[in-house]
Parts: sequence; C-alpha cells; structure tokens
Amino acid sequence: MAGILALMLAGGRVNELDVLTYFRPKSVLPFGALYRIIDFPMSNLMNSDIERVGILSQYRPLRLIGHIANGQPWDMAGRNRFATILPPFKGREASDWYKGTADAVYQNLDFIRMTRPDLILILSGDHIYKMDYRALIKFHLEKKADLTIGFTPLPKEGANRFGQGAIAGWSRSGGIVTRYAEKPSKRMLDWASLTIYVFKPQLLYEALEANASKDSHEFGKDIIPALLGSSKVFGFKHYGYWGYTRTLEEYWQTNMDLLGKQPLIDLASWQVMTNMADRNIRDCPPTVIGPSASVEDSLFYSGCDIQGSVTRSVLFPGVTIEKGAVVKDSILFFDTKVRKEASIVRAITDIEATIGEKAQVGDDPRGALSVIGTRSAVPEETIIHSGVIVHPNMNAGRFSRKEYASGEVVK
Amino acid sequence: MRDVVAVLMAGGVGSRLNILVRHRAKPAVPFGGIYRIIDFTLSNVSNCGLSRVAILTQYKPLSLMDHIGDGSAWDLHGRTRAVKILPPKTGEKDWDWYKGTADAVRQNLGFVTDRDYRDVLILSGDHIYCMDYLPLVKFHRERKAHVTIGMLPVPWEETRHFGVGIVDNRDRIIDWQEKPHKARSNLASMGIYVFDRKYLVQTLNEIKEEDFGQHVVPRALKEAKVYGYPFHGYWRDAGTIQAYWDTNMDLLNPQSALTPHLPHIKTNHTTARMFYDRPPTRIVKGAAVVNSMLSPNCTIMGRVQNSVLSPGVVVEKGALVKDSVVMHDSIIKAGAHVERCIVDKEVVIGQGASVGLGDPSVPNAAYSTHVYSGLTVIGKQAIIPAGVRVGTNCIISSGAHEEDFQGGVLEDGRTIER
Repeated sequence: MAGILALMLAGGRVNELDVLTYFRPKSVLPFGALYRIIDFPMSNLMNSDIERVGILSQYRPLRLIGHIANGQPWDMAGRNRFATILPPFKGREASDWYKGTADAVYQNLDFIRMTRPDLILILSGDHIYKMDYRALIKFHLEKKADLTIGFTPLPKEGANRFGQGAIAGWSRSGGIVTRYAEKPSKRMLDWASLTIYVFKPQLLYEALEANASKDSHEFGKDIIPALLGSSKVFGFKHYGYWGYTRTLEEYWQTNMDLLGKQPLIDLASWQVMTNMADRNIRDCPPTVIGPSASVEDSLFYSGCDIQGSVTRSVLFPGVTIEKGAVVKDSILFFDTKVRKEASIVRAITDIEATIGEKAQVGDDPRGALSVIGTRSAVPEETIIHSGVIVHPNMNAGRFSRKEYASGEVVK
Repeated sequence: MRDVVAVLMAGGVGSRLNILVRHRAKPAVPFGGIYRIIDFTLSNVSNCGLSRVAILTQYKPLSLMDHIGDGSAWDLHGRTRAVKILPPKTGEKDWDWYKGTADAVRQNLGFVTDRDYRDVLILSGDHIYCMDYLPLVKFHRERKAHVTIGMLPVPWEETRHFGVGIVDNRDRIIDWQEKPHKARSNLASMGIYVFDRKYLVQTLNEIKEEDFGQHVVPRALKEAKVYGYPFHGYWRDAGTIQAYWDTNMDLLNPQSALTPHLPHIKTNHTTARMFYDRPPTRIVKGAAVVNSMLSPNCTIMGRVQNSVLSPGVVVEKGALVKDSVVMHDSIIKAGAHVERCIVDKEVVIGQGASVGLGDPSVPNAAYSTHVYSGLTVIGKQAIIPAGVRVGTNCIISSGAHEEDFQGGVLEDGRTIER
C-alpha cells in the first residue's frame, strides 16, 4: 500500500482513566500482559502493509516516543518507511497546542503534503481491535468515495459516547452515510463511528483549511457534518471485536476479554507486535511458578515470579507475587511487587507499585475497581477497600491511616 | 577492555547429547526455556565490557549463525563492537577443517593480531555459568602470566572427569593431572584461558599441535608461567543428556546455585520463524502448574510439575508434564503423560500417550553411554501417536511418526532411528 499515509491520533489523556494517565498518554497504557494499547493499531497497519505513519501526540509524549522508537518494531524503519512522532510545535503565533483532532492534523499539513499521499488514513491509537485496513481502502476505492468512515454496530450501553451514523442500503460491507450525529445524548442511529477515516487528500486539505477559522476543530463534531451532503461520504461496516478503553471499567473488561474459556480476543491470530526493548522485556527470563503457587485463568508474559495464588488476572513482566499472597480479578503492571500474604481483588496496580505484607487492596468481588498509582507503596497491613484511588509516588510514609473506605482518594 | 579480544570455541560436535545435536551444534542447543547454551558465554562477554569476539564454528553451524545474527542481541554490534563468525575456510591446502581448538585459533590468527590487543581470552560456547572475566584478566596481568586458566573447585569424587591443576601458594600451576584416578588437587580446568597475546602467537607459530587442553597448555606448563584463577560459582558443562537435564532442573531447585532469575543473560528472540511477537502465556481454569519455568506463548490446560517449558508449548486438558524439559512449540495432547523426558522442538505427544515411565535400570541398548539414567529423549518434530506407551531410557529420533510405533509400545531402552 505504497501510496497510503496513516495519521494516528495518540496524544490524548483521559480523565476517566485518572491516575493511569498522569504520566503517559492513553495510547501507551499497558495492555494484555505485554503490550501497549497503541501496539494494536500499529500492528494492524503493519499487517495491512501500510508502512508510513505520522503519530500525533501532545500529552506527555516521552513514553510514547520511547515506545515507538523509530518504528523498527513494526518494520517501519527504512528508506521509504517511517513512524514519525509529530508533537505540537511553536508557530509564529505564541502558542500552538493542538486544539482538537482536526487541528492536530491541520498543523501538520506541510508534513502530510510532503509525503505526497494517494490516500490518507486517519485513526486513533486508543482501541483494541484487529482490522485489515486494506479491505476498508478497497471499499473506499470501489465506491469512489471522498471520505469513508469505519463503523461498528452501536453497543447497547453508553451510546452517548459515540458518533452515530445511518448507512443507506442493506449491503453487508457498507454504503452511503445519510445521517451523522456526534455523541448524541441517547441512541439515535444504528452505527457507531470507530473514528477511522479514509480521505481523498485534496478533500481533507480543503476541509481543514475551511475549518481552521472556526472555533471548534474536531473530526466527529465539525469536519464530518460539514462534508455530509456536499461530498461522497461512505460508511464501511466492521464486525469484529472492538475493545474500548475509555473508562477504568472498560479498560479492565477489555483485559478480561483475554481470559475465560473462549477468550474474545485471540492474540495468537491477531499477530501483534510490540517494542521488546521498552522496559527491556526481551531480557526477562521465563516466568517462575513456585512450589506452593497456584495460577488459574490468567495471562502473563516473562519475568514474573509467582509464589502465591493468582486467579483471573493479567500480569506484566517483572511482577513478583510472594508466598501466601492472593491476586484475583486484577491487572498488575510491570514490576508490581505483592508482598507475603497481601491480597488484591479487582484492582489495577501501575508500574512499580508495591503492596506491603498482609495489606489488602479491594475486597468486594463486585465492587468498584481500586487503582494504585505508579511507584506507590501500600504499607503492610493497610486495608484499602474497593473503589479507592491511590495517586502515584505515594510512599509508605504518606499513608496516615490503616484503613481507607470506598470512594476515597489517597494523595 | 578494548585491549582484550575474546575467542569463543563453538565448533565441537558434543555427540554425547545424541539426537539433540543431530541438527545443530552443541552451543545452539536450547536451554532454560528461551535461551541457547551459547547465550551464557556471549552474555558474560558482553556484560564485562568486552567488545570484540570471534566465534569459531565448524559443526552444523547454521542454526548457530542464525541465532548469533549480527551480535546486536548482546550489544556486540557497532563501530568498535563486533561478533565475527569464523568457519573453516580453504587455505593453502585444499582441506582446512579445524583439527582442534588450537588449530582453529591458528587458522584465524589474523583476528587476534589485526589490532593492538594485549591478551586473548579463549572461551568455550558449551558451558552454563555466569562469570565476570575482568577479575580473571586482572589476575593474569598482576602475575605477569603467560597463561591463566580458569579453575573450578569440584567435589573430589568428580576430579576424574577433569584436568586438575596443582597450584603453589601464589596460584601458579606447578603440576597437572589429566582425568586422574587419584587426584592431588580438586581444582578443575573450566576450559577458559587467558593468553598473553605475544606468547600465544609465538607458540601457535612454533608448534603444530592442535588442541589447547592436550597440547598447548601442557607445553606452557613446562616452559612458561601458568597460573590458575579460582572461580567460585555455578559452572556446568551440559554436555551429556544427564548433565543437560540436571542443569535445567537446577533452575528449579532453590538449593542449587543456578538461579532462574537471569535478566543479565541475553538471547536473540528474533530468529524465531514468526514475524510477530509471541503472545503471553495463558493458564486456563482447572490447570495446575507448580515449581516450573514457563516461557511466553504457552497454553496450559493440564498439569505441569517441576518442568522447564520453552515458548509455544501447549499442554492440553488432563495431560501431565512432570520433571521434563519441553522445547518450542511442542504439543502434549489431552490425557498424555510425559515424565522425565527431554522433548525437542515441534514434537506432538498424542492423546493419552504415556512417555518416560519404566524401569530405569535398563539402559539404552544402542547408546548405553548416552542414555542410562531414566530419561527419554524425543527428537525434533517427532510424532508420538495417540495411546502409545514409550518407556524410559528411550531415544526417538526426529521425524519419527505413526509407522515407527507398531504394536503401540516402545520398551525401556529402545531407540527409534530414522
């Protein structure tokens, strides 16, 4: 797909994910015992033979830059291949932070024009899914569309969080978009936008120039409604798994979709690539499961040392679970340490968190998730009930009490 | 340490590893789940800051060369850093196979002399150990030695398997016994040497003998200053089926000095034939895994006890893998029982098959010196049909399949050759 230029919107921070996105954009949030969320669209690009991508990033790009490196993990480093991070830069006007998704692309128009693309694929770095973009592009070309939007059947819940579209006709592959509503308060139309767009370059340039003088600069809210009616806008129907990661609960559920009898996400067939040099994953020894350990319905990669009991959980490299500790329904990021006889239920622990001896994080198997921020250390014998948020870098000395009730925020 | 050059001997056949080395050189034999034997020595070289290493290969070097690649997995690739693989080449004579370790170095003296090196570190790619070579080189230089030999204190009853050195109170080797029945020292040679480069080049030019251990070192003992550097740590030559299994099992034994936490040992993951990263390992509900090492991409639905699993191993429901080493992408089908086995890559153990149980006192009939201790070895891509019973001390060659198991039973000590 030599003529395709992909632009990935990967700079967002999400309020609902709270402490997990203090120090990183959501796109580099760890996922699935090994990966970062952005690995999924990056691997999709690679597996679709799209080898040129600009990654638009604004919020705390350091971790993103380190993870993408030069694109080499996805074989995008070469003479005519690239994965380039495009941070905001200072223009002639004093401050040119990206003012929306469309503005982010608009500010990089010179870069985009320089690559002389035949088609521009715009996608988000935030979703867990497998998709061959070649089918979408083929559809776009066959329909001689100006703009093609990827859609999936509108989920039953949270309809108000999606751009909704109506697609004419009964074709299984898609058709003309007749109506579009950006995040309406209720269920209006049948299809949810995946925020994946294929643009004819000239149309994109014109639409962005026209939008530049407006007050709002979003693809869903501004660009698509403006083009609907005046241009040939098609909807492409995608039916496969689509994992959202916008809220803590969604992010947790999408991880849990890797587990169970028949996991909804079949990683082996998705052929996902990651940067194995990030956090030196490739140097981790195999995982050790000790003589008194028990592990069921769980996922881990390498470098874990499991001496306790683990059920329905996802463990990233470097996780240590000491003897007598119990971990259930939880996601433990890189290098989390769970000390002897500690217990974790329905929690997410960020990188290098420590749960002290006999401490308890979460207790209600149906309660709200608890989150322990990166490098925080829950002191021994401390009880943290379900639904407590512990901010990053809270060392043991900063926990003044022995017990924290549901809904509390420790900071 | 730019003035030390390392030469790694990786050409040995290692024939006592039997079918494990039928298609690969001994240093390329998988070990500890994700590693190959040579990773330990290569990582040692890289970790102590040596930047140039020659690897002398000869026997079935393909998978080894593939594994080493450009050396970047060990950070041995760059302007001043290099791994050079040196296979035998046609020289003045038509046929210049390496006749021994010293001969191999002699035929490649150019690598040792093309820069201003002070010392040459001669290593073997066959051993499992973690060692910092810098104190060894420092020791060598402080004593102004011509040769320094890495020496390991071994239990007295094992001295008969080694060359042992008798040292004076300044660690100078004053006498040597090769595989002695009555040893006068328990300091065994690890097959690691530091040579003063001038002395090495001069000696190799003067003499025609072929082997370091048999010729060059005995000669040096007579005419030069040879010291013994004592190494106190874990060191094993995983050169027999029994030793290979023992060394893997040492990873699981907290009493052994070999820890399974080996973040300083680097390996090359990219040689696997897949172009995407192996996904994580999944243990399903109802599975039971204890005291084992699991690599990525395994799927465990049955029971695994006291075993080392390489990437991609599948253990189906009701299957049991016990006291075994199972290499990449092998599948243990439902209800199968595998005990005290070394299972090479891409093997299929059929549904309900039983492998490795039997009377260990019956050694392998064809290779009684290789397989005798109650272990069964299964070669790469062998297929054990469903329901078959394979005893202990058996050898099943790679590629074995259905037709080779007439009658459904392979008695203890039997071999399937192909």
